[in-house]
Amino acid sequence: MTKKVTNSVWRLRFTAVLSVLLLLVSARGLAQENYTISGKISDKADGETLFGASVFLEGTTIGVVTNEYGFYSITAPEGEYRLLISYMGYAEKYQEVILDRNQKFNFEISELSTELEEVVVTADEPERAILRKPEMSVVKMNIATVKQMPVVLGEVDILKSLQMLPGVTNNGEGTGGFHVRGGAGDQNLVLLDEAIIYNTSHMFGFFSVFNADAIKDVKLYKGGIPARYGGRVSSVLDVRQKDGNSKQFAATGGIGIISSRLALEGPLFKEKGSFLIAGRRSYADLLLKAAGEDNSVSFYDLNLKTNYKINANNRLFLSGYFGRDAFELGENFTSSYGNSTGNLRWNHIFNAKLFSNLSAVYSKYDYDLGITTAEFDWVSSITNYNLKYDFKYYFSDKFKLDFGASGIYYDFDPGEIRPTSETSAVNPLKLDQKRALESGVYVNAEHKLTDKLTAQYGLRYSAFSRLGGQPMVDYTNNQPVVYNSELGIYERGTPVGETNYEKGDAIENFGNLEPRASLAYTLNDNSSVKAGFSRVAQYIHLLSNTSSATPLDVWAPSGQFIKPQLSNQYALGYFRNFKDKAYSMEAEVYFKNTDNRIDYIDGSDLIGQNTIETEILTGESRAYGLELLLRKNEGDFTGWIAYTLSKSEQRTPGGTAGGLGINNGEWYNTPYDRTHDISISGSYKLNEKLSFGANLVFQTGRPVTYPNGQYEYEGISVASYADRNSDRLPAYHRLDLSVNYKPNRKPQNRLKGEWVLGIYNAYNRKNAASISFGQNLETGANEATRTAIFGIVPSLTYNFKF
Amino acid sequence: MRNYIKITALSLMALLASCTDVVDVDVQQGPTRLVIQASLDWEKGTAGNEQLVKLSTSTEFFETTNNTAVTGASVSVTNDTSGAEFIFADQNNGEYTTTEFVPVLNQSYTLNVVHDGATYTAQETLMPVTDITDLYQDREDGFDDEELELHVEFTDPADEENYYLFKFQRQGDLLPELEVGDDEFVNGNEIDWWYEKEENEDTDKIDVLKPGDVVAIEMYGISEAYYDYMDILIDQIGGVGIFSATPVAVKGNCINLTNPDNYAHGYFRLTEVNRTSYTFE
Repeated sequence: MTKKVTNSVWRLRFTAVLSVLLLLVSARGLAQENYTISGKISDKADGETLFGASVFLEGTTIGVVTNEYGFYSITAPEGEYRLLISYMGYAEKYQEVILDRNQKFNFEISELSTELEEVVVTADEPERAILRKPEMSVVKMNIATVKQMPVVLGEVDILKSLQMLPGVTNNGEGTGGFHVRGGAGDQNLVLLDEAIIYNTSHMFGFFSVFNADAIKDVKLYKGGIPARYGGRVSSVLDVRQKDGNSKQFAATGGIGIISSRLALEGPLFKEKGSFLIAGRRSYADLLLKAAGEDNSVSFYDLNLKTNYKINANNRLFLSGYFGRDAFELGENFTSSYGNSTGNLRWNHIFNAKLFSNLSAVYSKYDYDLGITTAEFDWVSSITNYNLKYDFKYYFSDKFKLDFGASGIYYDFDPGEIRPTSETSAVNPLKLDQKRALESGVYVNAEHKLTDKLTAQYGLRYSAFSRLGGQPMVDYTNNQPVVYNSELGIYERGTPVGETNYEKGDAIENFGNLEPRASLAYTLNDNSSVKAGFSRVAQYIHLLSNTSSATPLDVWAPSGQFIKPQLSNQYALGYFRNFKDKAYSMEAEVYFKNTDNRIDYIDGSDLIGQNTIETEILTGESRAYGLELLLRKNEGDFTGWIAYTLSKSEQRTPGGTAGGLGINNGEWYNTPYDRTHDISISGSYKLNEKLSFGANLVFQTGRPVTYPNGQYEYEGISVASYADRNSDRLPAYHRLDLSVNYKPNRKPQNRLKGEWVLGIYNAYNRKNAASISFGQNLETGANEATRTAIFGIVPSLTYNFKF
Repeated sequence: MRNYIKITALSLMALLASCTDVVDVDVQQGPTRLVIQASLDWEKGTAGNEQLVKLSTSTEFFETTNNTAVTGASVSVTNDTSGAEFIFADQNNGEYTTTEFVPVLNQSYTLNVVHDGATYTAQETLMPVTDITDLYQDREDGFDDEELELHVEFTDPADEENYYLFKFQRQGDLLPELEVGDDEFVNGNEIDWWYEKEENEDTDKIDVLKPGDVVAIEMYGISEAYYDYMDILIDQIGGVGIFSATPVAVKGNCINLTNPDNYAHGYFRLTEVNRTSYTFE
């Protein structure tokens, strides 16, 4: 009965959203005597479409930047204009236009220098402070910038580069993922060509899954998440793969100590299309095996992309990613895991003002563990199918509209034990498979209110259905976790039976309205202030009770016991360019709170756990901070100083379980809290052959829990631990250096090569990844043992292109 | 089996961890608590009348003096059905003993400790344990397929949930090794539990199992609550790495009736135990 009521409320809301949308679209009739110029902007050398290139009518304030597919549409009153196309690092281009009808212009622009991985002397436009757009809390990185930063083990790493910017940290060396503004790793939506990536790292975070040779650009939304994205409360990392060179066949690659890579690209179908295929593989395992070592670690990945231009208004894209990590501990233990994704897209231009993209996306993450000794395999996976349709309507110079809808079907396979022999002591077991449907509709407007004031406002309605087809355990008093007031501990509730849900039933439905808004006010030509608000809902959660997420962790959907996380974020910023845009400064303050953040009861056991609800309590988290970024954008010396002052904490009361909750219901630090975080990155171009780079990082240590006492029990010294996350690891700091050397070459020689020498952690700081406490095996005395992952790590890579 | 999965994941990390060293760290000083080690274990084939309870206090974490014995307390255990009370006599060294105890399998008992004006109490049931059916050595299994390991075989009773505690101690080793197991994934099966020692690369001291080594084996039947307690405690004994669960203050079953916040560490457990030893060839 109540379910029916909720459904009709949804329908009402949905209809309301649709009507607003239609109203806005139909308002187009009001604009008169205006004409539209539209088209695409691409790189002259390789045909790659350019995202974020600006198209301006000179002498007016009318302009636009290209979208992810290089498309632009600009509308102005009838007249004669000079159209200016610019993109940092590229030569500007002009076009005289007599605007007396709708017209189409495709432009190809040339890089100022076409050398391999040219040290970019001027930053990409979006890397400067963008003053007029209300977009804030956004980091856009050009792959060329990423490529000149020093990195560990000779492999260009997008995630490590992002961590050099304010508000972005990792959780210590040897751990995967990243954390944005005090948020957890599972609160980041990571998209590779629109496909969800569930695990962003290889080899426990030593490498990211993004092969820089296959990536065009990277955009990270730390807040102010546009209405077209949903599903994660902390950030969106939108990574786009290259389309492939549509002009000529080309190969890029690199040979390093740990791994090598090769990317091939070229035109297809008589220049109506192109392809890109890129592969990477580590070969430490081969060396170890050759050296007679039984244990090995390896990874590989493969990026694929192809596109076909049907005609001027229709284009198809097919892209895929496949990556895998493998570990072997002798012959008795093996483990492998990885992401696989596929995406088919159809770009359709309805008319000069309406651009659309339809995508069908598949992605999967799976984890396999083989334990030969005990004769069983452990497998788990998450799979999703996503259909989305996005529109961008360039209504007028002052008003642009994004709208669309998406649906994601999830299949959660939290774990299965498969005995591998008749004699195995282990019984087969399959944890309940879970299914869910997440859908969303959105509309978002970019509205120039006055010459100085621009607003962006939108609304997303998201809905989530936890689908049936599985039994759910019922508990005494409906309490999956119960507080034992005598012993002062949380215990698992008592099951009293099961309710079986048919496949057609929904176990639970949720719906949320997510308003998003931001304002930019231009103070003068060089400075502006911006303010933003966003509300985001997150329906799936990564279960992890360890300090750092592991590849083993499984995802769980919201349902009866786990409620959707709901986050509100408020941000205020001041942006300024000075010295003729050679320098830029960005300052932002933010506050965000998230409801329904789960934490784990003492002694929680998540591995092979069918009833996760017996291990968790629901609480809230909040984070606030100040971020400063000062950049030097031009000259032989470029770089930035980033500083973040922040706090991230959470509180988990007992709720329906009773009791005060975790840490007696008081606020405690999240593992992602960093009081101070300073990152300095610089690069210096000495001449055409030689350039240098350096990174310096300093961070407050990660919150951890240390012992506050010891006692003898059963012949051993047992540590008693203090309040959750009430201690800290020592501060983290390190310096990285790099040298790029491009040997002399003849201009007509197609093969271009360069050497990259990198030194990670140059002063060999032993940064603690963890400190553990135990007894010395010989003396029995208690001691603290530090584990440091990297000391100084030199690397040498040869990169080539032809 | 859950532990297999957990341990494997942790070991994989060890492949990557490049460097460990002992460092000086400042830790907080928590409250001093009474520690009750009331392990009433009934060895198979004995009368089980001689029992011992140890009382001590907790200290600062890096404290090395071991003078923490608690004397002058009164300790007793009561059979909850018959009402029979067993008084444990103060030996003035932190130990309290009796020779009168009457163990009854699956019987509930209550512990009563009065110390320093506070009364502590705990209730627990004496848990039976199945017999060890075979003990043998091999090399192929374990984490290392070349080193010796000890196999302990037994048949898990199918009709109930069973929880086990194993204690292995090689002659000459300072510290015992504790492991817990449950039958969640192996109920009713013949179980092969193995014990292996890994080479400690840091000290360069080879301490894998060798021919001639003698290992004392204790296999206890334990309650689910005690399993939960020991599971956390054991997890935290070896120290806590990046992929271990966030460490917590482990709470046992001894309640302070006078001041509940000032609970005692330790546990009141009653078990049946197989004790044996194995000499490697």
